[in-house]
Amino acid sequence: MRRAISAEASKLMSLPATWLAVALALLLAPAIAALRALQELSEITKGVQTAVQFAIGFEELGFGVTGVIILGVIAISSEYSTEGEESGNGRQMVTSLLAAPSRLRFFVSKASVVASASAILAILTIPVTMGILRLILGEFSPVIGIADLPRLIGVVLYWTLTSLLALGITFLTRHAALPLAFLILNTSVMTVSYLLTRITRWANYLPDMAGIRMFHEIDDAGSPLTPLGGGIVMAVWVLAILSVAAFTFCRRDV
Amino acid sequence: MLTINQLTKRRGSVDILKGLSFEVKPGRVTGFLGPNGAGKSSTLRILLGLDYATSGTALIQGKPYAKLPRPLTTVGAVFEGSGAHRLRTGRAHLHWIVKAAGIPRTRVDEVLEMVGLTHAASKKVGQYSLGMARRLGLAAALLGDPDILILDEPTNGLDPEGIRWLRLFLRERAASGRTVLLSSHLMGETAETVDDIVIIHQGRIVSSGTLAEIVGPHRSLEDAFFAATAQSRGDQG
Repeated sequence: MRRAISAEASKLMSLPATWLAVALALLLAPAIAALRALQELSEITKGVQTAVQFAIGFEELGFGVTGVIILGVIAISSEYSTEGEESGNGRQMVTSLLAAPSRLRFFVSKASVVASASAILAILTIPVTMGILRLILGEFSPVIGIADLPRLIGVVLYWTLTSLLALGITFLTRHAALPLAFLILNTSVMTVSYLLTRITRWANYLPDMAGIRMFHEIDDAGSPLTPLGGGIVMAVWVLAILSVAAFTFCRRDV
Repeated sequence: MLTINQLTKRRGSVDILKGLSFEVKPGRVTGFLGPNGAGKSSTLRILLGLDYATSGTALIQGKPYAKLPRPLTTVGAVFEGSGAHRLRTGRAHLHWIVKAAGIPRTRVDEVLEMVGLTHAASKKVGQYSLGMARRLGLAAALLGDPDILILDEPTNGLDPEGIRWLRLFLRERAASGRTVLLSSHLMGETAETVDDIVIIHQGRIVSSGTLAEIVGPHRSLEDAFFAATAQSRGDQG
């Protein structure tokens, strides 16, 4: 198993797209947080509001998940992408399974590498984001203390579980386009799951809405979940999708 | 020794393999011949554990591929292209394979040298010519210094020099007592390389034996091949 994990880590790190995903993960949340902090600061100095909103920083960390979505998707789609006709349409997956034929071990090591990378990226991005807020907002900056620890752990879990969701879906689609488009749109541009909460409260049980609840309460979503409950609901979703993906992957022809 | 026994494969409602049986012996180069779509790749993919058989067995030294301990040290296989991601360098590709397979890292430079890719090792695979991509595929297959080599249409994309190089290389492997199985749809080229022949047509073995036995009274392997496959068509008609 150690061999398999080390090979998967080596594969991931030698892909240029990985570094794009890492850069996005590290920069997106701090960048959006900085823009919002500047805006809120000007509102405060104008006297429109007296303090920053409670969720500043955490909301942006929610958007920052895009980077690890890309990571989860490309870790799998890179195995299935064909080399192109001029080099004979080979696929790396063939090489991977010839080198180490245990499919379950392959699946578990991919998931472990993606999950650990995402957790590390979240742990690095949180202080950067909060640091930038402190820098821009100064005395108005939200104070992050020991009481916020559960919310911060929530962010790390949300990033980790979302990357695993992306990985599981890509194992099923064997292609990057669908999971990338769907997951990134849903976390950034147009949040389908959030819009659904306007129609039915059950949409709060969708994996992303439940997961966000771990560190942020969206005002008008009316989530019936507690932060812990949200974490459990998201974890159950991810576990279910990973199980279906692993089962399918182990049984189908390459 | 490779042993294929009563192998069948059904995809949807199509029978791709209809009960194949044959053996591949050590110390010889065996050619697995058939037209495109006859079932050559499917047979090799099942033998290497990439696809699953509907019934029957395909064993390597008496075991299915997935049950071999450190399989790359027993079998090296080359399929389409290089089997590498376009954006990785040739060397980075071989590096993760040695990690996954538990092979000493020093083998990477050795196999690059063997296939003549040392100069291109730091280039991205996407910039390789088809011939270079095939050489990288072969380099990966040789990492574990295996006793058995299995190659699917290995001469596709090779220039005449590459084809000759590969032929001599495979002959040398067999001469040192190792096993080589290669699939091809090209008769002339195959006749120059192989000792034994297995001919597959429409998912069935229609003929097998030594090169001399197969050619028999025919003028060439090509004539023998068409006689064998025409006969099988006749049997079905």
